[in-house]
Amino acid sequence: MIDNLALGLSHGLMMLAAFLLLKRPDLDREPSPHDAPEKKPAPIEKPRRDA
Amino acid sequence: MRDLAFIAFLLAFFGMGFKRPFLLVLVYVYIDIVSPQRLTYLLLNSVPISLIAVALAVGGWILADDKRDTRVGGRQVLIVLLLLYCWGTTIAADFPVEAKEKWDWVWKALAFAAFLPLTLRTRVRIEALLLFMILAASSIIVVGGIKTIASGGGGYGQLNLMVDNNSGLYEGSTISAVAIAIVPIIVWFMHHGTIFRPDWRVKAYCVALVFACLLIPVGTSTRTGLLCIGLLALLSIRNVKRKVAYLAMLGVLGLAAIPFLPSTFTNRMHTIKTYDADESASTRLAVWKWTIEYAKANPFGGGFNAYLGNRIRYDLKTTPGAAEAPKVEVDKARAYHSAYFEMLGEQGYPGLAIWLAINLIGIARMEFIRRRYRDPDGEYAWAGPLAAALQSGHIVYLLGAGFIAIAFQPFIYMLIGAQIGLDTYLARKRSEQSFRPMRRSAVPSPA
Repeated sequence: MIDNLALGLSHGLMMLAAFLLLKRPDLDREPSPHDAPEKKPAPIEKPRRDA
Repeated sequence: MRDLAFIAFLLAFFGMGFKRPFLLVLVYVYIDIVSPQRLTYLLLNSVPISLIAVALAVGGWILADDKRDTRVGGRQVLIVLLLLYCWGTTIAADFPVEAKEKWDWVWKALAFAAFLPLTLRTRVRIEALLLFMILAASSIIVVGGIKTIASGGGGYGQLNLMVDNNSGLYEGSTISAVAIAIVPIIVWFMHHGTIFRPDWRVKAYCVALVFACLLIPVGTSTRTGLLCIGLLALLSIRNVKRKVAYLAMLGVLGLAAIPFLPSTFTNRMHTIKTYDADESASTRLAVWKWTIEYAKANPFGGGFNAYLGNRIRYDLKTTPGAAEAPKVEVDKARAYHSAYFEMLGEQGYPGLAIWLAINLIGIARMEFIRRRYRDPDGEYAWAGPLAAALQSGHIVYLLGAGFIAIAFQPFIYMLIGAQIGLDTYLARKRSEQSFRPMRRSAVPSPA
């Protein structure tokens, strides 16, 4: 009885935590200053007409 | 019935892991701590769930995770070095069969500890790892806490923690030390958690869980646990603002708790003072002496479970202060009962040195982070207190390790993994911040 109560409580909370983590975009990725230059290179390289 | 519940839980957990691969790392953490296969009678026993979980966790990281700017901490290198060294001593072990048995789980704990920090790239991941470690351990701690209240504790080695085979975290002394070591981290969640926002419900649960943690040494009547509580109380003085009020509260609570302590606990705690009349303590001292001599003859260690070769003699006082001659006891194959001597005997001086380096560097690095991020209004206000909590937990473990052979306890290696993850995460953030002003200054500089 006590065993099942404790197991149910801890496992329920773990399930809830996992579910909440699914909805967190910052679990896998945080904004970084490296992000900005990655998107820009294309328009910067376009004007190289002399090449 | 319980089997089916565990299977449903694991399937749901694995399923979520396929959506967000980091959750597979947490599945392995869960399986390693709770060992659901040991709590069930059918089905799960026959499937290597631990192996499946680790394969999926590593596979998920290789295939799906972002590996840009991956940093390897110096301690990860040391852990791999320790792993290779242990492999060497296992090959040349005094007791090859028994050494292989221990090697089979030690290498997994070490390899996972070296791998874990690679996945801890975001704050939420570090938090998620610690949250799952605590919740997984709480499945044992809550059982122990409730049973201690209900029965007044079972006495040493008697508290029923659901599993009989006394291994992993289900062993009384080990869970005592671990339960106290995680208290500072639980307290951290009361202020800085983001997965479960610290509202009144979260705080109430954390307080109840801390209480359950403090009850574990009472329920298991382990002297090591009591020492760990004392050390934790001392370490906490550093982290509280109102120190005098804290000390007063500690004194009042300590005195108030005494009448409620079960006699099995107080009787056992009294034996701390009369250690020379106590067989458990006397054998420890004799084994430690033997280990020092053994290491002189075998400086590179005897491999796992080398203690099986010991033959010890020790004097035991029959009654303290009595005039009669001490009783001479003879024994053999006594376990180390200390992680330090476990490392010295099994892995020799080099193994002990690497192990100490992994642990002590961790404490030093956490001190560095603690001081650097102490500003409560800074961007990383959560990091300083987390480093302090991880450091306090680690110091408590190192005290417990003085009396329990837990040098390779996987839970602690996960804690070390979290420390390395926090350290490399903050180092990455620092380098990003130094990168940012350079770009900004590059634009207006011509003006």
